[in-house]
Amino acid sequence: MFAALAMCSSPVKSEATPARSQRRPWSLVARLAVFYTLATTALLLVTMAVLYGVVVRYSDANDNLFLNDKLRAVRADLAVKKTNGGELLVEEVASEPSDYFVRVLDRRTGKVLAESPEMGKWLWPSVFPAPPPNGHIPEEGSEYKTSAGKWFLLMSAFAEIDRMMPRPVVLQIAQDRSDDKAFADFFRNLLLAVLVGGAGCSAAVALLVARRALRPLEQMVAAMKRVQASYLQPRLNRDRWPKELDSLAAAFDEMLARLKESFERLSAFSADLAHELRTPIQNLRGEAEVALTRTRTADEYREVIELSIEEYQGLANMIDNLLFLARAENSETPLNRLTFKIGPEIDIILDFYDAAAREQNIGLSRQGDADLYADAMLVRRALSNLVSNALQHTSAGGQVLLTVKQANGSVEIHAQDTGSGIGPEHLPRIFNRFYRADAARSSNSGGVGLGLAIVKSIMDLHGGSVTAESKPGEGTIITLRFIQSEQMSRSDQHRTNLQPLV
Amino acid sequence: MVSMRLLIIEDEKKTAAHLKKGLSENGFTVDVAYDGSEGSQLASAGAYALIVLDVMLPRQDGWAILGQLRGGGVMTPVLFLTARDRVEDRVKGLEMGADDYLVKPYAFSELLARVRTILRRGSSAQQEVLRMADLEIDTRRHKVTRAGRNLHLTRREFVLLSCLARSAGEVVSRTRIVEEVWDINFDTGTNIVEATMRRLRAKVDDPFEKPLIHNVRGIGYVLESR
Repeated sequence: MFAALAMCSSPVKSEATPARSQRRPWSLVARLAVFYTLATTALLLVTMAVLYGVVVRYSDANDNLFLNDKLRAVRADLAVKKTNGGELLVEEVASEPSDYFVRVLDRRTGKVLAESPEMGKWLWPSVFPAPPPNGHIPEEGSEYKTSAGKWFLLMSAFAEIDRMMPRPVVLQIAQDRSDDKAFADFFRNLLLAVLVGGAGCSAAVALLVARRALRPLEQMVAAMKRVQASYLQPRLNRDRWPKELDSLAAAFDEMLARLKESFERLSAFSADLAHELRTPIQNLRGEAEVALTRTRTADEYREVIELSIEEYQGLANMIDNLLFLARAENSETPLNRLTFKIGPEIDIILDFYDAAAREQNIGLSRQGDADLYADAMLVRRALSNLVSNALQHTSAGGQVLLTVKQANGSVEIHAQDTGSGIGPEHLPRIFNRFYRADAARSSNSGGVGLGLAIVKSIMDLHGGSVTAESKPGEGTIITLRFIQSEQMSRSDQHRTNLQPLV
Repeated sequence: MVSMRLLIIEDEKKTAAHLKKGLSENGFTVDVAYDGSEGSQLASAGAYALIVLDVMLPRQDGWAILGQLRGGGVMTPVLFLTARDRVEDRVKGLEMGADDYLVKPYAFSELLARVRTILRRGSSAQQEVLRMADLEIDTRRHKVTRAGRNLHLTRREFVLLSCLARSAGEVVSRTRIVEEVWDINFDTGTNIVEATMRRLRAKVDDPFEKPLIHNVRGIGYVLESR
């Protein structure tokens, strides 16, 4: 049976990955089959044990009853017998061998007064149990196996011959139980055979059933194998599967959808990246080639080199920003969260942009303050991008206002400008990498469309959110929302208090 | 003044060439090693004032060389150059005893400034009064005078001017200015510093005949008397 199991599980195993160092869990088919077989076998075993017990006990009880009756009858007969002699038992004991034997012994001398023929061959008087006292007749005899392998049930009792002139004797009576024993053995072997056969059959059935039940799983694997990276179809389609696999199919389909989305994003991103690299490289190449077409003055060469340094700086910044985004996406950016006042941080950023804003005649101001639990440097970076963005889109005489609001459980920073605004068709995509609402915008107005993507990734890192509302012609409000859990900031404050100030 | 000897360990020929050229032109004597084993031999044998060490080298990487040097008791200052800028890498370098760390691509002016900073380190206390021609900056009293005249600068303008004055004669890159003056160490995307610098120059240079703050296009600013 176990050999069969092993055979069954081997093809399943061979399909799986090569053996790992740690033990692999059992195959499902083997598991199901073994449990099912064990259960069936246990059930069979119990049933048969009960059956065997009942049959054997019934035959034992029957024999005991028979001997008991016989003993009683012989004793009654003896009580009315006249004494004397060997003819004594003629009526009580069949003279030819039968399946039961009787012997009468003198109680005082132990001499055999009478016995059934052939009884003396196997059943000496000494092998019988002692008779119970007070003339009781035993309910159960004792079993005895002769050297020739025959089984007997033995009983003995006190008796008297001739009630008028009583002579005390011991009555010994035996029944040949060899046939019963043989039957019991046969019956036991039969039951064992049925048990083994039954277990084997149930194992075979269990294997078949388990394999059949798990077939949808194999089909599912086959369906999954057909999915390719380049073409994330076909979906498993949850309707096709049994209820138990339904959620697996659904989860797999969802995973495919997500994968497909990120694949698409990734390839779009690569295309954008290549495209964004083209412009600065074209500029560099063009400048250099034109410069070399004829001999120029040192100042002219200097100008070419200076221009190229600006392009290089732009490229280096782009690489920095892309790396930042890539790391933020993989959660590789460690957050150094602290609780700090956001107002002064905003003021530093406003101070940084102050001169530029004055030149453009744009007002820069802040309202409100709050405690914020966040990574201060990343928040600065986000704020800087927002202000820089707002300044680019606001014309002379406009306003850029940063407002801090504390709602329950969150801190919001609104960056509001009175700029050109963003069309509703662009609004959902302004946080995408390389996305620029005005495609023709000159590159020296800064950035390549990564600023807001970085803002979004910073908010994602903090578990917060960024949203934008805009009315073309009136301006834009971008809102950063930091979720502030009391516990979170408090535990951190506690921790930072413990740290030595470096 | 005897020129200081620097060792550059860098396998990328072009990088090594421009480093050598740039540093030589700025008054250093420069040796170059193109691989790790040659580099570590030279480093242990020669008396260098500073080693510029690339992390990614054939045969023996920068970490190994640094470990070997420090293990052998050579305490020559080391400036790491690397294309990898994970935080762990930075920490590893500094923990192993590197003195500074620059991530490629870097501005040459930045490298030069760092080299000078390392070489100067511990040698001179910060001066209280910085002077350049007729400009005088009293860093303790936050007072700036030029040709005896008081200049009224905002706090930020003062910090900006001091930043240039401390590296007088050297080009200070925009990145460095932004970092030192506003503590902003990320790309701000635009040439925002220029506006602030224009305001500063309006106060420091415009009223006077000879400008002291000069723009080095594409790189940064320098405070010097030309």
